[in-house]
Amino acid sequence: MKTLRFREALREAMIEEMERDDRVFLMGEEVGHYNGAYKVSEGMLDRFGEKRVIDTPIAEGGFAGIGVGAAIVGLRPIVEFMTWNFSAIAFDQILNGAAKVRQMSGGQLTCPIVFRGPNASARQVGSQHSHAMEHFYATVPGLKVVAPAFPADAKGLLKTAIRDDNPVLVMESETLYSIKGDVPEELDTIPLGVAKVVREGGDCTVVAYSRMTHVAIEAADDLAKRGVRVEVVDLRSLRPLDEETILASVHKTHRCVVVHEGWPYGGVGAEIADRVQRLAFDDLDAPVLRVSTLDVPMPYNAKLEQLVMPQPGRVVAAVERLLARGRS
Amino acid sequence: MAKILEMPKLSPTMEEGVLTTWHKKEGDAVAVDDLLAEVETDKATMEFRAFDKGTLLKLLVPAGAQVKLGQPVAVLGNPGEDISGLAVPGPGPSPSPSPSPSPSPSPTPTLTPSKHAPDTEAPPAQRVPRTASVLDRTEQLAEPAPVSRENGRVMASPYVRRVARELGVDLRGAHGSGPGGRVLQTDLEQLAKSPAPPRVGGDGETTARSMVRADVATLQAPGIYLAEPEVRPLSMMRKTIARRLTEAKQTVPHFYLNIDVDAGPLLDLRERVNEELARGAREGDEVPKLSVNDFLVKACALALLRVPECNASFTPDAILVHRRVDISVAVAVPDGLVTPVVRNADQKSVAAIGREMRDLAARARAKKLKPEEMQNGTFSISNLGMFGIDQFAAVINPPEGAILAVGRTRDEPVVRNDVDGSAEGGTARTKTVEPGKRLALTLSCDHRVVDGAVGAAFLAELRGLLARPMRLLTG
Repeated sequence: MKTLRFREALREAMIEEMERDDRVFLMGEEVGHYNGAYKVSEGMLDRFGEKRVIDTPIAEGGFAGIGVGAAIVGLRPIVEFMTWNFSAIAFDQILNGAAKVRQMSGGQLTCPIVFRGPNASARQVGSQHSHAMEHFYATVPGLKVVAPAFPADAKGLLKTAIRDDNPVLVMESETLYSIKGDVPEELDTIPLGVAKVVREGGDCTVVAYSRMTHVAIEAADDLAKRGVRVEVVDLRSLRPLDEETILASVHKTHRCVVVHEGWPYGGVGAEIADRVQRLAFDDLDAPVLRVSTLDVPMPYNAKLEQLVMPQPGRVVAAVERLLARGRS
Repeated sequence: MAKILEMPKLSPTMEEGVLTTWHKKEGDAVAVDDLLAEVETDKATMEFRAFDKGTLLKLLVPAGAQVKLGQPVAVLGNPGEDISGLAVPGPGPSPSPSPSPSPSPSPTPTLTPSKHAPDTEAPPAQRVPRTASVLDRTEQLAEPAPVSRENGRVMASPYVRRVARELGVDLRGAHGSGPGGRVLQTDLEQLAKSPAPPRVGGDGETTARSMVRADVATLQAPGIYLAEPEVRPLSMMRKTIARRLTEAKQTVPHFYLNIDVDAGPLLDLRERVNEELARGAREGDEVPKLSVNDFLVKACALALLRVPECNASFTPDAILVHRRVDISVAVAVPDGLVTPVVRNADQKSVAAIGREMRDLAARARAKKLKPEEMQNGTFSISNLGMFGIDQFAAVINPPEGAILAVGRTRDEPVVRNDVDGSAEGGTARTKTVEPGKRLALTLSCDHRVVDGAVGAAFLAELRGLLARPMRLLTG
């Protein structure tokens, strides 16, 4: 076991897969000579050279499209978005290119591509750069979306994503890149669509992913001091979604709170709430609640930003509401 | 209660119309669908008809007026009703003459000038959308609805309801600690301590399974250990059997007629027929063997042709005497039984019936029968002979009017009359006893359809056919 930062775990995944398969290459803004906007790809240009670590112009629509084309003709590109916010410009390439080509070609073509980059809020990057883009992408059949919370999962899921024959979108987090975590020396792939119970408890299930898993754990710590045992389910993968683990937990706790960044209208949390109420109706002791980013564009003001983002305190309050404590 | 009639949408694209003619005047009685007025819309002149009955108390717009969609045009109510309390709006701003004035004389407008400035732009009773706080709407619980305790609705979470069902806990009258008194998981323990008396005639919520559990729970006393039963959840088939048989036994007045027939001739014939079939089969082919039941299906079918009153169904208004003879045959399958139907059994040979039964039974055991293959029989046969049962009575399979229960063929001394060879009646001078074969048949009848004498007539036909079973091959 070794301790790695999140960014190092991602880097290890890419390096290992590039050494394993010479069809794999990395491209994106500042991934080469600048060593990555968030230093995820540090040293990779020196190691693999300019043919396999490619700096692109600031033109997401262009390089995402080049990536899709390269994947269709047999390469296995890793396309890094400096942030997922910028993928909005490349949305058509992902939605109408990557996600569709396999089905529309009757299976004659595949698109084994990975899009990755930091997602959702950071610290005061403004309303246009704080989007939780996974909600837009997870709704699209033909795409797979993962959102790891820990370095080991980041490494294992990225390796699986690179080997997958379908487009896989890896949602990282600017504020998670520096966190450390244990990573097995020999970590191979981690299957997509398998969630992980990262904290066991019998009173309430809290479903989260990416950075919100840490928020959920913080809330669970706080609630534990008050005698409430929360079970935290870290989804890891949003599509495919591990329904089974969520339902098994709700079967045990009878209550469910979903925590995610992004707005409350629709999205991953609404999807989970739907499945829980539909598939575990007779297990529910209370309605499913969602703690999300509030329904406003992200404010720049630091204090307002904190108010709008999901916080452990709001998760604690939601859980207590379901337990009919301090009713409000 | 008086109500305001508004200009309805009379064409898909209509936004306003000219009320050209009133066909009713104030004080007129109005029946549903009466023609109230004619309205010229953007498409055509349309009829404006009444949706409610009442008396036309007031006309709010004159003929010829241009009226917007949803604008009040009249007041409908009871004769003499005081409508001063009704917020009757004033006339629209444009009771302008119609571009195509109605040739009919307009009734005098009887408008009450409104003291308030009318606002016909706003549709009446506009709904103001509730604005939820953007701040934390997905994190808040809904305000508990005001629940009238009198209406008997129990507020309980789905989980609590499920557990209560399983434990046999009666939630009626329960008041919980959740919002609005909702019974929560944490309240269950308290509720379970004070078990309600078991429900009589239940409301379907108390399942057999929960009753078993409740029994065990109440019998469980200190120092006595009762092993919990194995709980086998009900399969869909089990549920269907339970529902249909309960319904049959509770709603159909059964009575039972027993006969014991001489099965010798039938068994002799069957043996001969099976020998012929074996002889006729090509080498390597599986030799089809006809069962006693195959003959009985045919025998019942022919007997039903002669006594059609037993081939009938009860309905609340009439007895349906079927013009087809479709025999349901009960087939035991793992975890229950099904009743595939041999259609038009009266028209099929015993061999054909045998072939069909083998196919139906095989597919029944493989659970491959289509629903329609198990429905719409007109009479049933249930045979437990192969299980060694001498005689039994079966439950009618509604909407059929009767079912024949068949026991095993038994070796017994048979009394024979040496005059005409008939063991049943006759004016025999001497009787002999010899080894023979007997078969017990019990007819369960729906007394609403089949009376005793009719049932007896059917069994007499059946007995006659079995006495001379060659008729089953020729009939």
